[in-house]
Amino acid sequence: MKDRNAFISSRTSFFRGALSALLLAGAAVALQAGSSPVMAQEAATSAQPKPSFDLDDPARIASGKKRFNKTCAGYCHGAEGVGGRAPDFKGRTDLPPEAAFHTIFHGRRGSDIMPPWGEAFSTDQIWELVAYIKFLGTQ
Amino acid sequence: MNPIRKQFRPALMASAIAAASMMSLFSAPAAAQSGPGFEDPNNWPQYHRTSNAWRFSPLNQVNRDNVKKLKVAWIHQPGTITHGLQATPIVIDGVMYSISANNNVWAIDAATGKTLWQYAPKLDKIVEQVFYGAASRGVTVGRGKVFVGTLDGRFIALDQKTGKEVWSTQLTNPKTQYGALFSAPPQLAGDVLFGGTTGGDQPISGKIYAVNADTGKPVWTFDVIKNDPKSWPGESGKVGGGSAWMPGTYDAKSDTIYIGTSNAAPDYYNYDRKGDNLYTATLLALDPKTGKVKWHRQEVPNDSWDYDSAYEALVVQKDGKDVIVHLNKGGFVFVMDKKDGKLENVWQFAENVNWVKGIDPKTGALIDPVYPEVDKTKTFCPNLLGTRSWNHGAYNPGTGLWYSHAMEVCNEVVAGKDDPDNLKSVSSLSLGIESIKLVAPPGSKPHGRLDARDPITGKRKWSIKYDLPPLSSVLTTAGGLVFTGDMEGKIYGYDADTGKELWSFNAGSGLRGGPVSYSVKGKQYIVFPTGLGSHAPGFLAGAFPQIKDLPGGAAMIAFTLE
Repeated sequence: MKDRNAFISSRTSFFRGALSALLLAGAAVALQAGSSPVMAQEAATSAQPKPSFDLDDPARIASGKKRFNKTCAGYCHGAEGVGGRAPDFKGRTDLPPEAAFHTIFHGRRGSDIMPPWGEAFSTDQIWELVAYIKFLGTQ
Repeated sequence: MNPIRKQFRPALMASAIAAASMMSLFSAPAAAQSGPGFEDPNNWPQYHRTSNAWRFSPLNQVNRDNVKKLKVAWIHQPGTITHGLQATPIVIDGVMYSISANNNVWAIDAATGKTLWQYAPKLDKIVEQVFYGAASRGVTVGRGKVFVGTLDGRFIALDQKTGKEVWSTQLTNPKTQYGALFSAPPQLAGDVLFGGTTGGDQPISGKIYAVNADTGKPVWTFDVIKNDPKSWPGESGKVGGGSAWMPGTYDAKSDTIYIGTSNAAPDYYNYDRKGDNLYTATLLALDPKTGKVKWHRQEVPNDSWDYDSAYEALVVQKDGKDVIVHLNKGGFVFVMDKKDGKLENVWQFAENVNWVKGIDPKTGALIDPVYPEVDKTKTFCPNLLGTRSWNHGAYNPGTGLWYSHAMEVCNEVVAGKDDPDNLKSVSSLSLGIESIKLVAPPGSKPHGRLDARDPITGKRKWSIKYDLPPLSSVLTTAGGLVFTGDMEGKIYGYDADTGKELWSFNAGSGLRGGPVSYSVKGKQYIVFPTGLGSHAPGFLAGAFPQIKDLPGGAAMIAFTLE
C-alpha cells in the first residue's frame, strides 16, 4: 500500500508541474506538441487547456465512451478503465480533467508506457474521452 | 553414484516417450551429451540456447540436492525500468550480452556482473510515440558481432569485442507502418540475419526482413500477407496485420528457418477479410537464402480472435523422426513433421476453450468455430493475450517433459469496424472492436499455471497453480530442475520430475524475460532477468486488480552455489 501511495503522490506532482507548463491553442500547436513534447513544454506559457463544451454533456460522454471502448480499453485500460497500471478510472475522484487531457495528449513513461495520442485525436475528441473518464469517476 | 544417472533414473521410469534416447542417456551419459540439446554446454549461445528451442542447460552442478544453497553472485542494473527486462541474455565464453529498455545493449562479465561495454543507439524521435515503446527481448551474437533489432525499425551490428557499430540498416518505415519495430532479436541463418516486426494488431501488411549479416545489405523480404485475392478479398490484405514478432529458429541440418506469424487484423472484425488470411497465424518453414516458403501450416485460418501463432517451434523426436511442437494463443498445440509440416497431432493446452469445439488432430480443421459479431457480446476463451503470453516453455530430455506457463482468462467482445479517426496515430491498434472486457472463465477464477506435459500427447504429469499468471519464460537443466518466476517477483526452482518447490528467492519485481544457465571457470550460474515488463501486466489488471500494486524494476540477478 505504501508503494502505491508514493506512486500516486509523485504522479500528482507530475501533473501539477506539467499543467503549469502546458500550452494548448488549437490543432497546429497540438501537432507540434505531439511530435516534440519536450520542446513544446519548454516553450509553453501558463495557458491551460479548456474544453469547448460542457464535460457533463451526456452526448459528449457517450461519444467519449464509444472511443474509449474501441481504443483505450483494448490491451490497456480495460472496460470502464478498470484494467491497466493506472488507478481505476471508475470511482476515481482525484484526477482533474486538465491532467487527464494532458496525459492523453502527451502520453507518459515511468515503469510503464502510455503512448501520446495528441496527433491521433482532435482536441474535442480528447475532451470527450476526458468527459467519459470524469463520468466514470462518479460511478 | 554418477549424478547424471541419478537424476535421470526417475525420469526413465516415468516417461512414456523418447525411450530410445533416454536409454542412451542412462547407459552412456557421455555419448548422450553430444546429442541434441547438449551441444556447447557451458554457454547460452542463442535465444532458446539451441535451435530446437528447448531452453535446456546440460549443466548439472546445481541440482536437486544443492539448489537450496544458491546465493546471489551479482546484480546488474541497467538504470531504466520502463517495461522491465524482457530479454533472454546470450552468454558466450564468460561474457553476457543483453539488452534493456530503449535498446540499451550491454556486455557484462558473466562471472562478476561488471559492465564490459554498453551501446545505446540514437533512436528516431518517433519511438516516443510507438505502442511497443520499450520492448527489447534480446540480442543475437555470432560472426564476431552482436545483432540488434531496434525500436525504430533497424537491424544494427556491433563489434562483439568493443560494442562499436559495424553497420546499421533501416528496414521499416515507422511512419507509414504504424511504428512497426523489432521487439525480438533478429536471428542468424548462416550469413543471413532475419526477423519480423510488431504490428499484428495494426493496419499494416506485415513482413519478415533478411539482410546479409556481415554487410547489412538487404537479401530478401517476405510478405506475411499472401498476394491472393481468395485469401484476402479486396484491399483487406493491405491492413491485414500479419507480423512475425517473435524470434524464429534456424535448423542448420535442413537449412530451414522456422518462424510463426501473428494474428490477422482488424483482430475481431473479420467482415472485410472473409478468406483464410494466409500467412497469418501460421508456422512458416522458409529457405534462408531466398525467403521462399518450403512449407507452411496455418493453425488459425481466418483468425478472428487475436490468436497469433508466433511462438517457439520446439523440436523433439517422435517415432525416430523430428517433429515440431507448436503452441498458439488459441490454446492448442500442433505437432507436425519437421520435414514437411504434416500433422502428427493437435492437443488442447488451455483448460477453457470455447471459440471452437475442437481441432481435428488429423486435418487441423477447426470444428464449429464461433466468430465475433457486431452488436453481439460474445465471450471467448482464451482472451486476446492467449492461453499463454510469449513467455517461452522449456523441454528437458531427461524427463521428456515440456514445461510451459498457461493462463485461464477469457474476454467479452463486441466486434466493430475501426473508426478511421482512431487510426491516425502510429501507436493506433486495429482491434476491430466496439468493446472488450476481461472476464473469469465460466465457473472458475482466472488464474495462471505451470504445466509439465508430454509434448506429443499433452498428457499432464504435474501442474502448479498461481493466483497471477506468470509471464517469465521457463528454464530447465540437467540438474533435474525447472526455474521460473512470477509477476510478484518470486523466483522458483522446482523438481523437474514432480514440480516440488525446492528453492525460492524474492527479487522484488516480477519476471518477464528468459532465465538462462551457463558455466564460467567451472562454476555454474543461473541468471534471471527481473523487472515486470511489457503491456501484458497492465491489460491483465482488468482480471487481476492486484497487478496495479506491483512495482516495476529492472535487475539481472545471477545466482551460484556458495
